[in-house]
Amino acid sequence: MRKGLSYLAYGVAAGVVLVGASHDVLRAAASSTTDKLALFAEVFNKVRDNYAEKPDDEKMIKSAIDGMLASLDPHSNYFDPKALQDFQSSMKGEEFGGLGLEVMMENGLVKVVSPIDDTPAARAGMMSGDLVTRIDDTAVKGLSLKEAVEKMRGPAKSPVKLTVERGSNGDLKEITIVREIIHVQSVRSHLESGDIGYIRITQFNQEAYDGVRKAFDHFRAEPGQTNLKGYVLDLRNNPGGLLNQAVEITNAFVDNGDIVSTRGRNSDQGQRYSARSGVNLSQDKPVVVLINGGSASASEIVSGALQDLKRATLIGTRTFGKGSVQTILPLGENGALKLTTARYYTPSGRSIQAKGIDPDIKVLESIPDDLKGKVSSMGEASLFGHLKNDGEEEKGSDAYVPPDRDKDTQLDAAIKFLHGAKAETLRSPDSPATVTTVQ
Amino acid sequence: MIRKAGYLGVGVVLGAAAAATAPQMLMFASPAAYAAAADTYRQLNLFGDVFDKIRNDYVEKPDESKMIEAAINGMLSSLDPHSSYMDAKSFRDMQVQTKGEFGGLGIEVTQEDGLLKVVTPIDDTPAAKAGVLSGDIITAIDDSSTQGLTLDQAVEKMRGSINSPVKLKIVRGAKKDVKDFTIVRDLIHVQSVRSHVEDGDIGYIRITQFTEQTGDGLKSAMEKLHSDIPADKFKGYILDLRNNPGGLLDQSIDVVNSFVDRGEIVSTRGRTADETQRFDAKPGGDLSGGKPLVVLINGGSASASEIVSGALQDHKRATLIGTRSFGKGSVQTIMPLGENGALRLTTARYYTPSGRSIQAKGIEPDVKVLEDVPDDLKGKDDMKGEASLKGHLANGAEDTSASQAYVPPNEKDDKQLTAAIDLLHGVKLPEPAVKADAAPAKSDAPAAAATSPTPTDPGQAAPAKPN
Repeated sequence: MRKGLSYLAYGVAAGVVLVGASHDVLRAAASSTTDKLALFAEVFNKVRDNYAEKPDDEKMIKSAIDGMLASLDPHSNYFDPKALQDFQSSMKGEEFGGLGLEVMMENGLVKVVSPIDDTPAARAGMMSGDLVTRIDDTAVKGLSLKEAVEKMRGPAKSPVKLTVERGSNGDLKEITIVREIIHVQSVRSHLESGDIGYIRITQFNQEAYDGVRKAFDHFRAEPGQTNLKGYVLDLRNNPGGLLNQAVEITNAFVDNGDIVSTRGRNSDQGQRYSARSGVNLSQDKPVVVLINGGSASASEIVSGALQDLKRATLIGTRTFGKGSVQTILPLGENGALKLTTARYYTPSGRSIQAKGIDPDIKVLESIPDDLKGKVSSMGEASLFGHLKNDGEEEKGSDAYVPPDRDKDTQLDAAIKFLHGAKAETLRSPDSPATVTTVQ
Repeated sequence: MIRKAGYLGVGVVLGAAAAATAPQMLMFASPAAYAAAADTYRQLNLFGDVFDKIRNDYVEKPDESKMIEAAINGMLSSLDPHSSYMDAKSFRDMQVQTKGEFGGLGIEVTQEDGLLKVVTPIDDTPAAKAGVLSGDIITAIDDSSTQGLTLDQAVEKMRGSINSPVKLKIVRGAKKDVKDFTIVRDLIHVQSVRSHVEDGDIGYIRITQFTEQTGDGLKSAMEKLHSDIPADKFKGYILDLRNNPGGLLDQSIDVVNSFVDRGEIVSTRGRTADETQRFDAKPGGDLSGGKPLVVLINGGSASASEIVSGALQDHKRATLIGTRSFGKGSVQTIMPLGENGALRLTTARYYTPSGRSIQAKGIEPDVKVLEDVPDDLKGKDDMKGEASLKGHLANGAEDTSASQAYVPPNEKDDKQLTAAIDLLHGVKLPEPAVKADAAPAKSDAPAAAATSPTPTDPGQAAPAKPN
């Protein structure tokens, strides 16, 4: 069995991982397509012997592998051992030493989206909307979001000093927080308007299905749970993750039918995943799935299946359009290869590759002026070297979710729909330019 | 013997190429490879393993040639910016360019507003004999429209084997007269050397790039200048190397030797003994009669141009006027790969006679003179040079600032040329211009540097292509 676990996500940064399942026997380069490899070996050796300086063999080979993979599609990558380790740990639920803040970049400063419950940041009194201006006396201005996050992370028990600007008078506060191991929850849930079970999945890591199961347990424990009108499954800006998690989560809403099938060049990449009976946790209550231009891959498997099986109404904007499956192929001590090995098809047999999934009810968020043009996902069809699909390809769509719940038009539409509003009254006009908020 | 002809050029676009001569042995057979065989094998094994996995498991049947080419390009991109892979076609194109001759019509063309326009027919070529004129617009080649073609595609169509005919439809003049020409292709020599008499007493020689024709071209240019200018009036030479991206090493040595009779010209040093060589002037090579010499350089003068200007500066044989040169101090060797094209690999650094490497530093002119740059080209006319290229070979304290690379199309606006003529005429140059390190703070010297990652020729709005 050559196959590793299947993995689906559109970005490494947001992505999740796979543990390699089996080892391949290292084979001599010479034993396969000899001519092509001989040419490569010839160039490699000429460089080793004649380059003006002693070249770094390892760097050369890594660059060669990166170059070769870049000629395939945008989702095939090489992980050196360190990158593989990071990838694997993020996939196990993203454990790292940190503060417990969800942050975004705003005007060059780090803005707290929300402190995560039960973390050092929450206990130290960090609040949504706080702007972080300095980290350990280094100005945040000029740092990228990734660099700022890197600075805030560190070994558990080490302290970090944040300078925080809070509120409209711009009060500056210095807060020293001691880092802890942070578990990123991939699933969060709560009741909306007292009678709707809201489940948000941020990514399909190894803990996603368990998180969904716990969410249903919580709903069941709520007083008056028998009056639940339905569920909102929020997959907006969810870049994907593990295929088996997507299948299990879909199965939590349906009793039978196909969920997804994959097709590759080899028969072992062709597989059909069907629902098992007896594991549907949703009691057949109505479901709305929220999607947008940032919903990709595993998110599209779930929404595509629930749409085809007529189990859910999809609200939001068109999804990303990543219709391929990656497999992590271990390379022994040299890391692993993340390779696109199959396309997947929804139960009705469609491939959403470079097309995305159109919502049943298109609802746009109103985007603040300073973010206009910056929060749209270009989608799979715009990626260089993406796999082609038959027929018209479609570009991405908006990928903005207001941090302030009260301004979330898509979630409001979902709740109104579950409360009985007609689709026509919720749908946004076709041209986003005509969207105005009536006060 | 592993060595091929050394090649020096900044960019493939502008650069000339070396024709490979001797066949290359497979490196598996070389002793150095045996020594490191175990590690090499481990690295190659990893590559082979990834290659196999892709072949077996990729979602679509992959194109193996494309994969290998991408791998080779990826590998070479981890080296310096001048090492690259050429497939069979680019290798052929490169050889044509280096040779400086090909089957064609003999016109220089450019693209203007999407139209293919004749810059000039080259003297004594089929195009000139057929009466093609400067300014003619070529609308069709062999009955297919030139609309939508890139300049390269159009040139490709006009080139072909010697004695084969080509049909051109030409629109001429304000009246837009349409004319059909059928022209038979001939062997066209790209003139890398042009010369004329300046002010009646100065021999001006421009070298556009160092091809196989350059050494001979220079010799005939110098002979012609000597017959055109009476010896007693002959004030000296101007050798214009501005925006010359380089070319063949042996030709640059030949050019230096035409102005000096003895001494070292350049030495190269690589990791292996056969990359380490010293080139000296051959007695009797000097054709210049000891007349004064000015070399014009700018930010676009690179590689072979820098060998020439560096040697002539170190020998105190010439006064360098203009702006700092590009700073490419490395030598590339062309290694043929059988039917798979060739590898252009950086194999050595070179050193001027005084032992300096100009890598990532460039050569400072003895007299710095800036051109006046038109407003619409400001900020675009500067060359950032070798030091700004990603992955360039390091060389101590480097100079990353940009240097001007603009040559006014109209000679009378050319302040560098004027300064060269004045110097040869014994006119004292204006004070601010004389000191190389005290550059006048000119309002027209753009502060913003051009960010072009690969050297281009900013002196021309559109590239002119001979064909």
